[in-house]
Amino acid sequence: MNGDTITLAPGVGAGARILSDAKREHYRLAWLSTVDHKRIGILYMLTALVFFVIGGIEAIFIRIQLAVPNNTFLHPDTYNQIFTMHGTTMIFLVAMPVLFGFVNYILPLQIGARDMAFPRLNAFSFWLVPLGGILLHFSVLSGGGAPAVGWFAYAPLSETPYSSQNNVDYWALALFVLGIGSVGTAINIIATVVSLRAPGMTMRRLPLFTWINFINAFIVVAALPVLNAGLVMLLIDRRLDAHFFLPLAGNGGGSPVLWQHIFWAFGHPEVYILALPAFGMLSEIIPVFSRKPIFGYEFVAASSVAIALLSFGVWAHHMFTVGMGRTADLFFAISSMLIAIPTGVKVLNWTATMIGGRLRLQTPMLFCIAALIQFTCAGLTGISHAMPALDWQTKNSYFLVAHFHFVAVGMIVFVILAGVQYWFPKMSGRMLSERLGKWSFWLMVIGFNMTFVIQHFLGYAGMPRRVYTYPDLPGWTWMNLVSSFGAVFMTAASLVLVYNIVLSLFRGKPAGDNPWNAWTLEWATTSPPPTENFHELPPICSRRPLWDVANPDRPDEVVGAVDEPIRLPDKNKTSILVFIFSEIGFFGVLILAYLYFNARPQPGPGPQELNLFKTAIFSVCLFASSLTIWRAEVSERRSQKGAMAAWLAATVVLGGIFIGGQGMEYYDLFRSGVNVSTNLFATTFFTLTGFHGLHVCMGLIALLIMLGLTLAGDFQRHHSTALTAVGYYWHFVDAVWVAVLTVVYILPHLR
Amino acid sequence: MTMNTWQFLISAWTWNPGVLAAGAAALAGYVAAFRDRRRIGWLLAALGVFFFVLLSPLNALADGYLFSAHMAQHILLLLVAPALALLSLPRDFSLPKFLRPLANPCVGWASGVGAMWFWHAPALCNAAVASKPVYAVQTVSLLALGTMFWWQTLAPREAQRISPLAGVLYLFTACTACSVLGIILTFSPVTVCASYLHPTDRLGLLGLIREDWGMNLERDQQIGGLLMWVPMCLLYLSAIFAQFARWYGATPAPVQPVLKEKIS
Repeated sequence: MNGDTITLAPGVGAGARILSDAKREHYRLAWLSTVDHKRIGILYMLTALVFFVIGGIEAIFIRIQLAVPNNTFLHPDTYNQIFTMHGTTMIFLVAMPVLFGFVNYILPLQIGARDMAFPRLNAFSFWLVPLGGILLHFSVLSGGGAPAVGWFAYAPLSETPYSSQNNVDYWALALFVLGIGSVGTAINIIATVVSLRAPGMTMRRLPLFTWINFINAFIVVAALPVLNAGLVMLLIDRRLDAHFFLPLAGNGGGSPVLWQHIFWAFGHPEVYILALPAFGMLSEIIPVFSRKPIFGYEFVAASSVAIALLSFGVWAHHMFTVGMGRTADLFFAISSMLIAIPTGVKVLNWTATMIGGRLRLQTPMLFCIAALIQFTCAGLTGISHAMPALDWQTKNSYFLVAHFHFVAVGMIVFVILAGVQYWFPKMSGRMLSERLGKWSFWLMVIGFNMTFVIQHFLGYAGMPRRVYTYPDLPGWTWMNLVSSFGAVFMTAASLVLVYNIVLSLFRGKPAGDNPWNAWTLEWATTSPPPTENFHELPPICSRRPLWDVANPDRPDEVVGAVDEPIRLPDKNKTSILVFIFSEIGFFGVLILAYLYFNARPQPGPGPQELNLFKTAIFSVCLFASSLTIWRAEVSERRSQKGAMAAWLAATVVLGGIFIGGQGMEYYDLFRSGVNVSTNLFATTFFTLTGFHGLHVCMGLIALLIMLGLTLAGDFQRHHSTALTAVGYYWHFVDAVWVAVLTVVYILPHLR
Repeated sequence: MTMNTWQFLISAWTWNPGVLAAGAAALAGYVAAFRDRRRIGWLLAALGVFFFVLLSPLNALADGYLFSAHMAQHILLLLVAPALALLSLPRDFSLPKFLRPLANPCVGWASGVGAMWFWHAPALCNAAVASKPVYAVQTVSLLALGTMFWWQTLAPREAQRISPLAGVLYLFTACTACSVLGIILTFSPVTVCASYLHPTDRLGLLGLIREDWGMNLERDQQIGGLLMWVPMCLLYLSAIFAQFARWYGATPAPVQPVLKEKIS
């Protein structure tokens, strides 16, 4: 075993150089201008806390309204608004930000990195959260009140004829903004794990929290663009009078079911986007408090990948009640049951970790154990929803409400609370009070189970979900009352937690570096860590480097070779490839929508309006530009400034010609009276080619920046992979055009 | 003339001499070429799949009756038979020099995914049903392209394969690309393979299929698409697990007694 510690060069955190250090640390700017991953992580969590209060108050209003039958506490429309805002807020503004906050704070520490790969992108992604939250809540002032279409915004209710106010537009814009932020964070996470690991931190030695969030980032990158594509289609429907999701009388209408497919193709992976980080936390906390390494590291790691893959193939189980046909129901029933296997494997791993361990039943562990039990219940009710016949009976009842709150609160929130208890000492340098922690734990357990266990029975007694009130039927009244009383306990638990945090910040016991005797690298530095995170790192030969340091006589078995070299691919190239991966998802949905609506000729204008010959000429220009940018890269490598600038300029000109050509085509179509709302062909055509054109324009901007930098001599001073990254993006834009050209222009000629 | 399901399952086997000869030739070639025949079981399994696909009632159904049966054949020929055949190669096997350019990850990925998309272009799909020579070309090409696809992860020697994590990505993206086609087939409002619209009822099966089994045209195409989407993804997923086993298993797995630490 290599006994030398790794000493890091004294450095500074990645920070803007515009301000002096003193100015940057001034209290008015320190948090607003920060690009430090730790501060951004805390900002994420505080933002989530603010929205948690808002979403929590909404939940309390819902439970007050439902506490007694025929209640008139809330107007039905107000109830719908609060109900929509509760769901949207809790998912997009509480759960995702708080989990991203943890990842932001902990993940770079766990791999011994100084910061995230792209600190400024990190800050940008964070600030999109408040922006999205403000957009969403601004809708309250827009005249029609908050959106009242549910967090799922099913068409046609979300379409203009049924929701004519601006509120749904704000909802869609807010989610779009939040989606962009999430993709940005996910790209950053992947680039960080791929490119910034400390010496010795091979991919096989990653702590499970890091590994699982690494995998999770891929789900985010693949799933959020699907939602974003759906949202832009919804916005095009609402603002430009198209009808993607709006059925029309007679022929040529859109499909509300398509919205459901798009929404759940995002929505089901979203469940795992929230659950996987929680799985990661469980995989860290349970071993530490069982004083044993995790049982079956490999199985926990690989089953996460299985979950990531399967999560994209099961969305239609949210749609059994839509009537997709028996065949589709059957396949999705099977695939939905299969996803229980990797999840069950994990539960077994955590349980087996505890067996034979020396359990320390401190607050973080208590929350984990409760989460494990409640999650198992949630899994069992979940499996029952995988059976279409049973699902038809229970889907639209309170049974389903109980099921997903068992996942979202019983597992995810409980684990987040465990994480708060576990990592608070690292973030603040002070311990949370155990006594208050146990108070909030027991209040939470009682409150949660009181609120939601009984809802299973309410569902079986036939109470439908999404209703603002109910008649005084046998059993319904007292069960609802019990459920509402549970919310009181949960509120009390939250207040105790906030009190505990505030109190401990000032009076808490000093934590020291490693209060829990944990084994991962975040505990190898001071609490809170310095800006640059580490002054030195212990040697990393196994998955528990701090165990090896504490027990030199019986270290963990070395994973791989002792001095295994690590490969760290370039972060620019990595991030742009991941970005391209997410863009494929976005364009994939647009292309599928085009194919779906144009499989049969639409009444009105169709592909025959398009001029293949002219388009082919412009396309050749675009394809040629792939060649010129490649030459520019070659010139860069050879340090030929003039040639590089010339090739870049040629690329810009060729791209410009393509955009000009597309503009001409649009102009011709507009002149012959074809615009985006004419029929579904025109809608899908303009959406697909328009977004492609937008991406070409973005590429042109990037190219012009590169050109400017070249002329300023930037690339001569030091070689950079930036141009290669831009090149990748540009090739991707060309590749999308190959697909668009084939589908839109060439395919109709083959019929 | 109608028959019930059992009569059909018993009577619809064909003894296509070309297929039998090809299978026998493969076996003979294997025995002749390799002295180390410990892995011949894999080859027998591959041949079993091969014969099942082309001689069994599945082939009769795919021959103009059911798109979904055709899809099952497609999956078995592209993904299962070549994988088993590659596993049968002795571990010291190396590719002849002229084939090496084909052992490239991009080529492999493109052949695996391309084979799926290419043969489901409506014109080609119809041609393969209507014409025997095209069908033969399809079968051979599926086996060849499938071999090229799997070579990247199932090649006999470690040095010939891509790294395990790259393999996960390779399989993940291939799975996604095929799933998209499966989604299109499942939810497409139009028939992809028009040949199956009006089967010529040579075997007198139509009554059995349409009435007893309840397989109408929409359901047939839906099953076809779903087969490509869900079970095929599970095949890729199994392969992904194999990659993880390979990755974590690269050094002997640590066998440890339960560690108990004294709380300090």
